[in-house]
Amino acid sequence: MKFYIDYMCDLKSTMSEIEKALVELKALMKYRAEQLGYEEDFRGLGLTSRKNLCLHPSVKREKSGAVVDARCRSLTAGFVKEKKDRGENVDVCVYHDNLDLLEPHNLVPNGVWTFDGILRYGEENKQCPYFTMQYCNVVIFSYHYLLDPKIAERVSRDFSKDCIVVFDEAHNIDNVCIEALSTDITNESLHKATRGAQNLERKISEMRDTDQEQLQTEYQKLVQGLRDADEARQEDAFMANPALPEDLLKEAVPGNIRRAEHFVSFLKRFIEYLKTRMKVRQVISETPPSFLSHLREHTFIEKKPLRFCAERLTSLVRTLELTNIEDYQPLQEVATFATLVSTYEKGFLLILEPYESETAEVPNPVLHFTCLDAAIAIRPVFDRFYSVIITSGTISPLEMYPKMLDFPTVVQESYTITLARRSFLPMIVTRGSDQSAMSTSFQVRNEPSVVRNYGDLLTQFAKITPDGMVVFFPSYLYMESIISMWQSMHILDEVWKYKLILVETPDAQETSLALETFRTACCNGRGAVLLCVARGKVSEGIDFDHQYGRTVLCIGVPFQYTESRILKARLEFLRETYRIKENDFLSFDAMRHAAQCLGRVLRGKDDYGIMVLSDRRFLKKKDQLPKWINQAILDSDVNLSTDVAISSAKRFLRTMAQPFKAKDQEGISTWSYKDLLEHQENSRSDNFRIREFVGDQQAFGAPQNVDSDLHEYDDDELDQEMMQMGMP
Amino acid sequence: MPRETQAEENFTLDRCPACGRMRYLNHDMEFRVSTICYHAICTVCIRNNFHQGPSKCPIMSCGKTLRTKDFKKAWFQDLGVQREVDIRRRVATVFNKVEDDFQDLDSYNAYLEDVECLTDDLVNGDDDKKKLAELKLQQWEAEHRAEIERNRRLANESEATRRKRMAAEEALAQQRRELEIQEEAEEKLQERKFREEMLDSLQQGEQGKANETVSKILLKKRGQHKKDVALDAAGAPALSIRGLVDKKRTATVLDDGPYDPFMGLDLLPTRVDVSRERLAQYDNDTLKKVKMDDAWKAGGYSAEEYLSRALFEAFAGLGVFVDEEMGERGVSTQGAAQAAATGATGGRMDID
Repeated sequence: MKFYIDYMCDLKSTMSEIEKALVELKALMKYRAEQLGYEEDFRGLGLTSRKNLCLHPSVKREKSGAVVDARCRSLTAGFVKEKKDRGENVDVCVYHDNLDLLEPHNLVPNGVWTFDGILRYGEENKQCPYFTMQYCNVVIFSYHYLLDPKIAERVSRDFSKDCIVVFDEAHNIDNVCIEALSTDITNESLHKATRGAQNLERKISEMRDTDQEQLQTEYQKLVQGLRDADEARQEDAFMANPALPEDLLKEAVPGNIRRAEHFVSFLKRFIEYLKTRMKVRQVISETPPSFLSHLREHTFIEKKPLRFCAERLTSLVRTLELTNIEDYQPLQEVATFATLVSTYEKGFLLILEPYESETAEVPNPVLHFTCLDAAIAIRPVFDRFYSVIITSGTISPLEMYPKMLDFPTVVQESYTITLARRSFLPMIVTRGSDQSAMSTSFQVRNEPSVVRNYGDLLTQFAKITPDGMVVFFPSYLYMESIISMWQSMHILDEVWKYKLILVETPDAQETSLALETFRTACCNGRGAVLLCVARGKVSEGIDFDHQYGRTVLCIGVPFQYTESRILKARLEFLRETYRIKENDFLSFDAMRHAAQCLGRVLRGKDDYGIMVLSDRRFLKKKDQLPKWINQAILDSDVNLSTDVAISSAKRFLRTMAQPFKAKDQEGISTWSYKDLLEHQENSRSDNFRIREFVGDQQAFGAPQNVDSDLHEYDDDELDQEMMQMGMP
Repeated sequence: MPRETQAEENFTLDRCPACGRMRYLNHDMEFRVSTICYHAICTVCIRNNFHQGPSKCPIMSCGKTLRTKDFKKAWFQDLGVQREVDIRRRVATVFNKVEDDFQDLDSYNAYLEDVECLTDDLVNGDDDKKKLAELKLQQWEAEHRAEIERNRRLANESEATRRKRMAAEEALAQQRRELEIQEEAEEKLQERKFREEMLDSLQQGEQGKANETVSKILLKKRGQHKKDVALDAAGAPALSIRGLVDKKRTATVLDDGPYDPFMGLDLLPTRVDVSRERLAQYDNDTLKKVKMDDAWKAGGYSAEEYLSRALFEAFAGLGVFVDEEMGERGVSTQGAAQAAATGATGGRMDID
């Protein structure tokens, strides 16, 4: 069967993952070219920020991404080019201008381009890699680019409706959705916004003196409606609108913010209002309608002009031809906030926290504008694309996601893993060697016996595990306290005999250094144990394959910090709107993180590792683990004490030490061409039998792994169509 | 709401510009802002300067005459904004038209812009502009007194209903929450009771019949589960429709004129010309006879009718895609299912 995808965006979470996926894709395409005997007309690219891709000699030296963006825009924006054409002396980017000489649909030769590859190609041919990244068969980028409304429009405008969107590693997708729409406003950002507004005012008065016409044309356009103004200069639309309803764009801008100076005074009033609100010294949580009515009472700002705030600012910035956008970032944030707060009555909440912590004396107010409904951010994606696939190794329970994201699934399926041998050993350890229960629940987490038992568990496993070992704690705070207690109990000294001890910190630099040392120690045979946090950077996206991770130890159930007001509000919302109970959600959230931690250790078919869940509370939550882990837990491996766990781990390691050839996997976890044909034959006859049995309607083949909204295909038909499309 | 009471005291200074007293030494210093010149001075200064009647503003450069009642608390720290908002309050009481009062959006927006310009003149304009704007404001107030009164009443009413609705929603949510907590507690109680019952019956039951006892109890539990009642969703909040007047007006206008069952649909073919003259030109041997012989026409037969029907039948099928319609309907019959399975016909797939 030939397989061909017209457009596909695969969404990953970090840049290193994107690079990894691109390398894999490249290998795949190479293999296909070998097998087929010719190169296919295929292009695959990754998408990342200007900062990572810039080639301009002076711009690329800048350190901050925002500065790179701003300088790049000042060199490549449409009006700069116009000026150049008029013969004025302005700086332009030669890399970008070279692109104009090429055919827009054929900027790079076919093939899969990794970031390194595209940079090298850009340098050789003097063309800008950032602007090259369009028109491809497969585009891989971070899913912030699609979900964050501030950038989504710009990125996804080029994708057609029938392109297939794959959200990979999507177990965290609801949190990303929520983050994308939430804003935090602090005193500092308000000050900056005020400064931005003053700058705007100055620019406007300057322009009124020199170039009255520009403002007048903008005004005329706004009288007619936003869309026209938008389309006129879409190519340098750098600040796109947040999730605005379509009808708003077609409507004309309200009369009282049509003129530039009126709009700026409007913004200033709004910012001043926010500043005054921030002075309150008690926690306030209120809904958008209540906020709006209070706002109206004090500043006479109506809801309607507020809704247009973000769009109006974009238009104004464009008219003034401002290039140093980073100065206006805080102002843009405030405008976005204004638009969102007036657009959505439900699903958002304003929480004002005057103090950073309960005990703090010095006020540092933060106005959290939190999105509670993950469905709002992802709805445009479902509306726009026909086929959306949400997939992850640790997405469980499956029913939770359609409920939270508010969409119907066409196909939803959980698959088990096929392995030639039992290559991972999940265990639930609930008691220490002295038979007392182990748990990290708040009442007992600091009791010496619990801490000692956990320490004992760590020492024992450090003793028997070859090479690398990873330990996950529920939070930084707990990790710090338990490490210091272990230190005073001389447990770490014991561990030190067998393994190097490394710790993850919130600082990314330190952590990457620790990881590097960890890798070295695992490779040269010293062995190391990495202590990290279940919600930290290490648990997402860093692989501990082969010798880097032979045991993963999950100490305690990684629940969220339940005292957070934002979390409480979200729980309340989930219960009210989607009828998801607090405890269900919390335990679901904890278990997906636990599963994510466990999955770090098994990264391939020839890999093996031990997974230990050590908490009394895991006993009841066992069913919430993904199917492939849950099925591998034998009844005899549940509710163990440390010593029993150690002896069964020893046995497991001994079996794993037996020679294991690639040939052993054949027919089970790796298939040859013959096996494949056989399977096809089997499933076809199965299908046929079912069809005969059922007689009519919808007895169509095995379920495809596609969450498509519109079409249901017959397998054979699909094959046939694919053939036709693939045939050159 | 708690914030209403305490939000009043937002404006503070560290040092009174009139008497120079500092907050550091006087913790309970309070400030008032004059609504005439927008200078802020402490309450002690106000008492000292103005308790004997009107006097000059204690700020040296100002020189305006003020009274005690001119001073009030400020909500904003930025007094410029405070002044603007005070002016806006005045303007808003006079220019209080809402969207419903206008025929279309353009005129509403034009009105909004005019008001904004007037406000801007009052706030930022020079003396001439201010005077002019003031005059305009008074004029408008005099002209539209009745209308202003009516709009104010309406706004008050809608505000009251809105508040009522919000309160009702809040109460409903609260009620639901309580109910849920109650349910949860009940569930827990049930669980405990069930467990105890199980232990009791196991204890009392005959030896060697534990399995039967357990299954009996499980059956009982399942029966209870079925009795669970689903909580019905909250009633939809009261509907309120707002918008331009124009929509309602056009709806009434449309009612004029004779009744048209097809609502203006024209059944005459648009692509082919089937007028009588054109059809008459068409020549055909069979038709010639009809045209020649009046006996044919006696019964009411008309060649034109025949021709136009033939044309209609020839072109009526264009634009209808049988394959697509088949696909939409789904494969419903036995034969079609067979056909789809073998892949012989099947709906054409939609590929772009």
